[in-house]
Amino acid sequence: MSDASIKPNRGLTAWLLADFPQNAFQARCQRAYIGWLSFKTNPIAMLGLFIVSFLCFVALFAPLIASGDGTTQDLANRLAAPSAEHWFGTDELGRDVFDRIVWGSRVTLYIIFLVSIIVMPIGLIIGTASGLFGGIVDKVLMRITDIFLAFPRLILALAFVAVLGPGLENAVLAIALTTWSPYARLARAETLTLRSSEYIMAAEIMGASKARVLFAHIMPMCLSSTIVRLTLDMAGIILTAAGLGFLGLGAQPPLAEWGAMIATGRDFLLDQWWVPTIPGIAILVVSLGFNLLGDGLRDVLDPRSSGGH
Amino acid sequence: MMIDIKDLNIVFGSGHNQIHAVRDVNLEVAEGESYGLVGESGSGKSTILRAMVGINAHWTGSIKVDGQLLTPKRTVASRKHMQMVFQDPYGSLHPRRTVDDTLKEPLVIHNLDDRDERIIRILKEVGLGPEFRFRYPHQLSGGQRQRVAIARALILEPRVILLDEPTSALDVSVQAEILNLLSALRKAHGLTYIMVSHDLAVVGHLCSKIAVMNRGVVIEEMTEEQMRSGEVAHDYTRQLWTASHGYDRAALKTFKEFA
Amino acid sequence: MNEMRMTGFSSEPSGQDPLISVRDLHVRFTTPKGPVHAVRGVSFDLGRERLGIVGESGSGKSQTGRALLRLTAGNGSIDASKMEFDGLDLMKASEKKMRSIRGSRISMIMQDPKYSLNPVLTVGAQIAESCRRHEDISKADAKKRALAMLDTVRIREPEKVYNLYPHQVSGGMGQRIMIAMMLITNPQVMIADEPTSALDVTVQMQVLALLDDMVRERGMGLVLISHDLQLVSSFCDRVLVMYGGRIMETLDAKNLDQAQHPYTKGLLNCLPRLDGRHDDLPVLKRDPAWLTEGGDADGGLT
Repeated sequence: MSDASIKPNRGLTAWLLADFPQNAFQARCQRAYIGWLSFKTNPIAMLGLFIVSFLCFVALFAPLIASGDGTTQDLANRLAAPSAEHWFGTDELGRDVFDRIVWGSRVTLYIIFLVSIIVMPIGLIIGTASGLFGGIVDKVLMRITDIFLAFPRLILALAFVAVLGPGLENAVLAIALTTWSPYARLARAETLTLRSSEYIMAAEIMGASKARVLFAHIMPMCLSSTIVRLTLDMAGIILTAAGLGFLGLGAQPPLAEWGAMIATGRDFLLDQWWVPTIPGIAILVVSLGFNLLGDGLRDVLDPRSSGGH
Repeated sequence: MMIDIKDLNIVFGSGHNQIHAVRDVNLEVAEGESYGLVGESGSGKSTILRAMVGINAHWTGSIKVDGQLLTPKRTVASRKHMQMVFQDPYGSLHPRRTVDDTLKEPLVIHNLDDRDERIIRILKEVGLGPEFRFRYPHQLSGGQRQRVAIARALILEPRVILLDEPTSALDVSVQAEILNLLSALRKAHGLTYIMVSHDLAVVGHLCSKIAVMNRGVVIEEMTEEQMRSGEVAHDYTRQLWTASHGYDRAALKTFKEFA
Repeated sequence: MNEMRMTGFSSEPSGQDPLISVRDLHVRFTTPKGPVHAVRGVSFDLGRERLGIVGESGSGKSQTGRALLRLTAGNGSIDASKMEFDGLDLMKASEKKMRSIRGSRISMIMQDPKYSLNPVLTVGAQIAESCRRHEDISKADAKKRALAMLDTVRIREPEKVYNLYPHQVSGGMGQRIMIAMMLITNPQVMIADEPTSALDVTVQMQVLALLDDMVRERGMGLVLISHDLQLVSSFCDRVLVMYGGRIMETLDAKNLDQAQHPYTKGLLNCLPRLDGRHDDLPVLKRDPAWLTEGGDADGGLT
């Protein structure tokens, strides 16, 4: 009944909007494209996407963007104010703050990437398995989850780092270990509603094994909400990483990590404001970017919204 | 007998919350027959189907399909002979899988070859062109989805298909198309159907034998002729039959609760 | 036009102005995928009668009902050359005025009572609350009225049911409670959108009988929106058949078998019959011309 007048499309757009896709690849591309079309209409989400892409761009081309490696000291020029030569000024060791921000974006992305690939699988598998199998499996897995949930995140991360020793990888591991539990809860709750749905029953009737139901049917449905939750949590992860860095338990000097930069720069807040403020703004902007992106993704990836044409 | 159910009892819960959903049900369905189970909500009609396909394992009694005694736990191979079509075409297809994915899965599970040919053939049989093969469920209408669900049930070439209110979520014009499709498929493949519905007219149209259920008990079994002429023995059936003819103020006064 | 409207009408004095009068109603939605024209020029009058609106999904029947209360979703717009209720222009009425009309003078019953009742309040409290919202009476009086209303909708042991929560009642009882809640304000018009399609047939009859009583005894106007042509025609005085946002045909419910429009005939033919044979059912062929021409777009008005 929709009398939308769709403009005649040619080439790629026509292929992406064809009423009858010819193969599975085209169907999946269409799905992604239609999701993108609806994502595009949300300017706030687009801003988020822009910030996150910009972060990736900067990290990728850091050697070209930065004028130096960000660790070269120039004690003659310490704590110089922002100028044409040093856009964001220099820090207490004369290192260019702009360069350090640029190189720091790599550290931030590294943290995000590592946390994501640890948290998502653990949370998804534990959550969906305990939701699908129920009974004793559910009880054991959920009590373990509860134990992790019961501790305040930063405190638990501190404890882990204290055991594992300071360093970026250990900080990431500590963050991941303290982050996965809500994901397991989320995946479990979703699995419980999915478990009684008719398409899962249909799969069981045709003889699908529990593993097939878990990996092929339930997990794809839980994946999108996990991704959305992770993007929304990303701000918190970055801040926790920055917090650990601030406490000297994360990235170790001279590695340019934004949190550590604030920590060392805080002595100069009143006189040389740029030293702690610039990395603070970087953290703020990136956190905001992920938050906005997550909000937009939620609308597009919601499995309950049809997203059709 | 294709299907032979004896003394089927299904009980949910325990202690005070115990619900005896199905009581001492006996059913016999001949090969190639279409059998209807009619009843109101909570009569236990869908519960029987769920026990038959093994979703619900809490039953006692015996269920024989094609001479084979079914146990509450099933082997993968035994699943092949009995498939089910659900009520809600919006809920019975995985929203993230194309028609192709949905139809390919049973072939993968049961290790069947010639997958492409089978999928194209089955789509044609349920009245969908091959052009629908790579569509997602949200790109299909309710009737088309139900056709895909029927294709999924049929692709394993089962001998028995259980139909759980297959048309009650559809518009009447689409319902007619699906009912026609179901009866054509039965004729073509010699399928045995058990159809559950609350709609006497729909069951009467598709089935030659009809069992009426109330509160977990089969209270009456009748043939299509008896049903058409309204020759029903039990008062509850008569009440259901009257109510199915539309609003009737006078008849309503005679209605009562059957426990 | 009056003859047309009153033909199927029996028990109440007739001949007064219609309760609701709609001319050329349009409902449009803007969606990301383009504009959708859900209701395309619908006109009808509602007297103190049982008016049925029948159509398949997407026919615009529910949107027509919602538009009468201006309950169209946020991305929709209503447009009509006339939409009057008891002399009041519903198109121009302020949102505040509409709120005072909704639920007190025009009520609406939805398909599923589970979503319309507040899960954390007892059903009795909700009925009493609905009564107090529209009338200035004491709590004790409201409770008395609520209990009387539960009795009216034939709920046995109203005192017991009064203290139940929505999840503790069955579907049929829930729908009766909804009706009690909607009727306690004594509305002049009731719009019932598929009020019985989630219920068993025997319960369905009982719920319809209640609505029937309200029309007969209180002179209420009832709009029954449903997909079930047979049910509607056995219950209502007059039936509007909708397709593609337009009224195809207005029928006297008694003369359903004399339907002229091919769509109505097609709908009737494709129903399986209790006394029918096992032959294939005739399949409804849709004519695109129905969307643009012919039909009975003015709802039987001249």
